[in-house]
Amino acid sequence: MPNIVEIAVSDDRFSTLVTAVQVAGLVEALQSPGPFTVFAPLNSAFEKLPPGTITSLVQNPPQLGRILKYHVVSGKYTKADLEKLSEVTSLEGTTIRLNFKKNEVKNATAVLTDIEATNGIIHVIDNVILMGP
Amino acid sequence: MTQTLEAPKTKIPPSTHPLAEIIHRLEAGGTMLPDTPENLMQIIGLYKAYAVPMDFYWRDLLYIAEQVFLNPLPWSKYFISDEYLDRENKYSGDNADLRIWRGCGDAHPELREFMAQGELKKNLPKLLHHLWHDRINMEFAEECMRSMLWHRDMYKPWNQFDGFLDTDEYKQNCDRVIKAYFKGNPAMLGLYKLFPDMFYEQCRQMSYYSNLGLFWEVMAPVFFEMSDLYDEGKMTSVPAAMDFLVNGIFAIAGRPIYHHVYIKGECFEIIPKSKGFTWLYEAALPYIEAVFYRTAPFRGTKSYNAQAGQVPDAQPDFHYGVLYADKFPVGTAGIPPTFLAQDMLHFLPEYLVEYYKQHCRGEGDTIVQLAVSFQRSMYCVTSAVIQALRAALLYPLDDEDPEHLMANRQFFEAQMDRFLRPEARIRDIQSQEYR
Amino acid sequence: MILSALILVPLLGSLIVGFYPGVMSPALSRSVTFGFSVVSLVLTIATGVMFDLSHIGLQMQEFLPWLPDLGLNYSLAIDGLSFPLVALTNLLTVLLAFNSSVGLKPGEDLKRPRLFYSLLLLVNSGVIGAFLAQNLMLFFLFYEVELIPFYLLIVIWGSEKREYAATKFLIYTALSGVLILAAFLAMNWLTGATSFEYSAINTTDLSRNTQLVLLTLLLVGFGIKTPLVPLHSWLPDAYVESSAPVSIMLGGILSKLGTYGIIRFAVGLFPETWVSVAPLMATIAAITVIYGSFCAIAQHDIKRMVAYSSIGHMGYIILGTAALTPLSMVGVISQMVAHGLILALLFYLIGMIESKVGTRELELLNGLLNPIRGLPMISALLILGAMASAGIPGMVGFIAEFMVFQGSFSAFPVQTLVTIVGTALTAVYFVILLNRTCFGKLDTKSAYYAPVARWEYIPAFILTIVIVFLGIQPSWLVRWSQVTSDAIAFVM
Repeated sequence: MPNIVEIAVSDDRFSTLVTAVQVAGLVEALQSPGPFTVFAPLNSAFEKLPPGTITSLVQNPPQLGRILKYHVVSGKYTKADLEKLSEVTSLEGTTIRLNFKKNEVKNATAVLTDIEATNGIIHVIDNVILMGP
Repeated sequence: MTQTLEAPKTKIPPSTHPLAEIIHRLEAGGTMLPDTPENLMQIIGLYKAYAVPMDFYWRDLLYIAEQVFLNPLPWSKYFISDEYLDRENKYSGDNADLRIWRGCGDAHPELREFMAQGELKKNLPKLLHHLWHDRINMEFAEECMRSMLWHRDMYKPWNQFDGFLDTDEYKQNCDRVIKAYFKGNPAMLGLYKLFPDMFYEQCRQMSYYSNLGLFWEVMAPVFFEMSDLYDEGKMTSVPAAMDFLVNGIFAIAGRPIYHHVYIKGECFEIIPKSKGFTWLYEAALPYIEAVFYRTAPFRGTKSYNAQAGQVPDAQPDFHYGVLYADKFPVGTAGIPPTFLAQDMLHFLPEYLVEYYKQHCRGEGDTIVQLAVSFQRSMYCVTSAVIQALRAALLYPLDDEDPEHLMANRQFFEAQMDRFLRPEARIRDIQSQEYR
Repeated sequence: MILSALILVPLLGSLIVGFYPGVMSPALSRSVTFGFSVVSLVLTIATGVMFDLSHIGLQMQEFLPWLPDLGLNYSLAIDGLSFPLVALTNLLTVLLAFNSSVGLKPGEDLKRPRLFYSLLLLVNSGVIGAFLAQNLMLFFLFYEVELIPFYLLIVIWGSEKREYAATKFLIYTALSGVLILAAFLAMNWLTGATSFEYSAINTTDLSRNTQLVLLTLLLVGFGIKTPLVPLHSWLPDAYVESSAPVSIMLGGILSKLGTYGIIRFAVGLFPETWVSVAPLMATIAAITVIYGSFCAIAQHDIKRMVAYSSIGHMGYIILGTAALTPLSMVGVISQMVAHGLILALLFYLIGMIESKVGTRELELLNGLLNPIRGLPMISALLILGAMASAGIPGMVGFIAEFMVFQGSFSAFPVQTLVTIVGTALTAVYFVILLNRTCFGKLDTKSAYYAPVARWEYIPAFILTIVIVFLGIQPSWLVRWSQVTSDAIAFVM
């Protein structure tokens, strides 16, 4: 079974995410045993951000890394696990609001859930989620 | 204008909030300010008038944070070096990281002209201009910085900058810089040994100098660009102005906030870029909270009796920011907004000079009229922040799901709740009669 | 001839403005009025130059038999008592002619300007005549000539309750006139004098009781005009309901006729009897001061406040007159001038505030010192005027009050002390007035006041300069009256 990074790289729909992870230098961390739960935004999610947003983030890897870490949770949470929770704490440090009965992660919708990897699990979301209440 | 901005009745019922009209306008993609050409002209004109002194503020703030630093007698902190005047703005000019304004990257020409000649239009020595107060009033910028420093713990836990200032890591960084800065100065080093916390607190203040400087470095080109677009006829409505700001907020949200100190040319990182502090979370949102909403009671024509409860007990309830401020005391001694109004007075675009001449006392009270326009323009900025937060954390305005719309509604209502106190000027700015 | 000119010039002006057959624009009628009043002021200055400071008694006498059978002669003269009052009257008239629109709302024009200016000059002429007359009947003629013009000035240009105020004024002052006429006729008849000349009247031969009755008639008659408590009730209404220029005339000019009459006739013609009623008069003066001050403290309308303060300050004049020492008499004459100047300044400034802000309510006014949207210069002058009124050293009010108190203390220590307490109360109500109107925070919602034009300041500046100058250099005020007041005091 492939790990989280391998799954992402193999899927064209995550190319932006993969580039971002590479720029932020988080590849190694996401290949470590973990386990992690990753909310992986689709390419279309990044495209929804206003112009310039990605450019300035890519210029500043630590800041980009922080946003990406907000999409990662320590531990392996399946859809069934997440349905019982109202929030989880991200690696960034702040919490992510959940409404998984409606497949909602903050203001994003999980379009594909429970993609298993060796070091965790991936839920595909249609929006980049940002820190905040 | 307002009748076209009725609530979308089909999806959720109209709001019953006292400021429902404004909430419906926000839900329709508008701003807290009514969309009229007169309002647009005022806010854009003020952005331009604000951006020129702001171009000095950010440069001098960074100059103080990076060069003057802990100088115990900072006589010349307002006499900025040429290096900082020529410093390329990261968001304008040919060498910009992300070019927001199409103009130059170094100090704005109008700013240079004013710094040379001042209001007097005479090439006098700098010191005379300074003492005659014929200069850019950095006191305003410092008051904003101090307000951010004083209202700490804002936007916890999303704002991590402030928490970092209390960590051992920060203190160790400070320690290194302080020892380097006062090398060969046993008196200050001795003082540092005796009262280390006092020095750390000074460092924190310097870090906020840097924070605010980096924040405004972005805002100045944003405002210049808006002014140029307006002059070119490409910005034609208040919501368009707000949308430009919303896009700007997203585009530069990831700009790093840091604090570097230069001692004899060597760079010391008190707050390194690698901490991942961002413009949006660590500078913009705390700034809005501290300066637009809270600040502190102004010293001036009105006295506050704290024992009689005229000043709130809790800092989050403070309401002396620009959105609540009474613009009339402007002109009396020592009130920071007076300094800003005075600064902006020098850089008003021609169309606003003419506009103010036609109202109230004309040239006699332009300074108050422009301060009121400034209040309007800051309501537009606040609208942009509210819409940006809504877009970042909640749902699109045209979302199909009524629950999502309801969540947006609750968010807007919670924001409007802050304007229910009588001091808020939101009701005043709905009418053009408030000048 | 110069004294006649002082009377005839404004009278001529009044007739021209009033009866010129062609069309006369408001601006032209104002200019004509201003011109005539300036001529009067120049004549006043000329009189001052010709005035012999060392001469005891009357100067520049003019005599023309008119109806000798009735004892009525056209007889004029001037002395150190009347000259300062003539000068005050003519100064105020010039200032009022310069800006008679004070107190009007922005954009509002003076109603019926020709009649107004005509009456202004007529009043000026009449008051000057009364000050200069040396014949009881001539004085009475001039004194009564005021009545109808002032009634018209109140009833045409006044505010809401003007008819009530004007009628009250008319009744009181007509009564005052009747009493004075009765006294004059009786004096002539009982003493068997051949004419109504002041110099022809000698009351010393009359019995004590007769003198007392005649004196009482005069005191009540002039006491109404002054006014003395309890004869004052027409004053607050008349002052407050009048427009600003008319209240300046009433307070600055007309009220001086009352005190002038008391000094000239009550003291001058019944010196011995006056001395015997003096303790009572001093007590009434003290009551007047205290009453006026307390009433002022209670007011909510700043004009009414100043009106009551005016009542209080007239009390000093009566106190000094009762004491009748040389020093107190100099003080009395100075106080008449000081009161006229200060009251005119205060009423002028309040008129400006009313015309710009639209209210005189203490509760509604606030923060007028705001330098950008307020009325900073008006407020600053108001503070200065209030200080002058409260007798702060350096201004003319202090000089006058100090001389009155210093001169009166030896004669009536208790009454003087009570009056001094009244001075302190002046500070109390003026602090209330200033604190509410000038200080504090300007109301954001309503403070869109029209700016004050530069020329509108001119009358206030002139009055302020005179007030400060005479306060610093009081000898310029005192020198005119020193010899005369010594003479008046000497009669006892």
